[in-house]
Amino acid sequence: MKYFLQRFGFYLIAFFAAITINFFLPRMMPGDPVQSYIATLYSGGGNISADTVHAIEKLFGFVDQPLWKSYLNYIGSMFQGDWGVSLKYYPRPVLSVIMDYLPWTLFLVGTSVVISYIITTFLGIFAAWNRGGLFDSIVTITGQIVANIPAIVTALLLYMIFASQLKIFPSGYAYDSLLFPEYTWEFARSVLYHAVLPATAVILTSLGNIMVMRANMINQLGEDYIVMGWGKGVPDRKVMFSYGARNALLPLVTTFAMSMGYIFGGSIVVEMIFNYPGLGLLMFQSLAARDYPLIQGLLLLITVLVLSMNLLADILVYFLDPRLRKQGK
Amino acid sequence: MARINECLTFMRQNMKLTIGLLLLLLVVFSCAAAPLLTSHNPVERIAGSHEAPSINHILGTTQLGRDVFAQTLYGGRTSIVVGVVAAFITLILAMVVGICAGYFGGVIDNLITTIINIVMVIPNIPLILVMASMLGKISPIYIGLIIGLTSWAWGARVIRSQTLSIRTREFVYAAETLGETRFRRLFFEVMPNMMSILSSLFVGTVIYAIMAEATLEFLGFGDPLSTTWGIMLFNAQNSAALRVGAWWELLGPCLGLVLLGAGLTLINFSIDEVSNPKLKVHKIMSNFYRMRKKGKV
Repeated sequence: MKYFLQRFGFYLIAFFAAITINFFLPRMMPGDPVQSYIATLYSGGGNISADTVHAIEKLFGFVDQPLWKSYLNYIGSMFQGDWGVSLKYYPRPVLSVIMDYLPWTLFLVGTSVVISYIITTFLGIFAAWNRGGLFDSIVTITGQIVANIPAIVTALLLYMIFASQLKIFPSGYAYDSLLFPEYTWEFARSVLYHAVLPATAVILTSLGNIMVMRANMINQLGEDYIVMGWGKGVPDRKVMFSYGARNALLPLVTTFAMSMGYIFGGSIVVEMIFNYPGLGLLMFQSLAARDYPLIQGLLLLITVLVLSMNLLADILVYFLDPRLRKQGK
Repeated sequence: MARINECLTFMRQNMKLTIGLLLLLLVVFSCAAAPLLTSHNPVERIAGSHEAPSINHILGTTQLGRDVFAQTLYGGRTSIVVGVVAAFITLILAMVVGICAGYFGGVIDNLITTIINIVMVIPNIPLILVMASMLGKISPIYIGLIIGLTSWAWGARVIRSQTLSIRTREFVYAAETLGETRFRRLFFEVMPNMMSILSSLFVGTVIYAIMAEATLEFLGFGDPLSTTWGIMLFNAQNSAALRVGAWWELLGPCLGLVLLGAGLTLINFSIDEVSNPKLKVHKIMSNFYRMRKKGKV
């Protein structure tokens, strides 16, 4: 129980830190977002009265009151789910705009992470088993290089080869524009077909975890119980999976949770390139439109998602690892 | 002669390092020697729009009729410099924070570790995006600064745990007994013993910084008048290069980023191998495992 409270407390602090950053960021930046927004309205040929300026100031939270008061107000409204009103999609509330795009990102990132976990685990296990061999060198080096290449290049190259030149996969959107979202086999197939390239790009950027799994596995293979297994004459395959891999799997749960922020960062870029209607595309559009309430909402939501994944991983590890449970007692 | 042979043997034993250095030198030298390799001006209109690769224009031209090969070479200069500057900032911040946390321990350590963990769980790329967007179109050096200021957490964590293990060694106690100042103990006793970790961190950070810079500029937060790999990708995307089939416009910067990333990654692998004797042990043991597989042991 102490473990849970500790972890939960940590994520609560992290959440407050994120809210604080979100609150102070627009206020710390040189240049006034209110002024720059008004300037873009002007250049668009709009007629701006003093009332409009006041309304915009209020929208951004720049009201005549002490800073600490608006800070407390901000935190209060965050918890009530009142994240402000989007400027681009005026007068829709930020949260409702985000909810339109959220499912696609969850689908894309969720599928990619599951597939990536399976691939990296198996490649890591085999690489560690054959360490020093040809398979090991090829897999670890290629995996690391591919992971280090930024998502933009991976995604652009995939787009260039498979969507633009060979035309094997579609070049945008989450499903065929002729179909309606409904529970049919045809629609599901279209969704999967459109997700192949973006998911591949996200998976490729997370291949760096092969190295983590390999290192875990090598550490396990040096343990006495492995030698004991061999000594007893347990078959290799069983030593590999039931002895080594089972124990090496645990730390990878945490590693994956830690890399969620990185994966979300990658998916933002990937969604933009493949015109995939997720949070990344929305973020890009709102950045281009300087829709600050929406940008802040997105940043906060992505942070909350990453934090809750981490919390989930911590809970999962607690149930999977008996050593942690013993420590608590 | 013997020297050369020695060198060759060393290179053959460290294939990763050799290939990595070759790739790195290839990219860095061709960027540095850009005026010798191409006679075209990177920002001048010298040909028609979207011309396919030919002998005159090795990588074709952009929509504005600029030579892609020349742009790649000149653009690489800025990209690499910004990456290295950002990596330096990151590493210095990580070192100060990490060493302080690891050395002083206690309350300071707890506080700093909590801060490090918080910074690590808050997703980096969206945060950088928001900061860049609020600053508007910014020059490459500011992009380097933003990346440096937001990416130190991982390094600080690694350095902290390393400091913790070095701190309790005898030579540090000896220095304390000799009455060396705390500052000297930190930066002249503890730090030199982490050189291998620091250098591998540095290489890793350079990779990250160059890639993050390209990402930011591709998303449109760079100065569109400067020439870097990220800006080239941004321009290609904006002129719908792929839609009209001008794939060569993307090839230059992509190739530059891939070659540089691959070279630096390989170098990092070999630094790890040299500095971490555990990895070497596994190399020796691999012979044993191979023999066991064949049933000889």
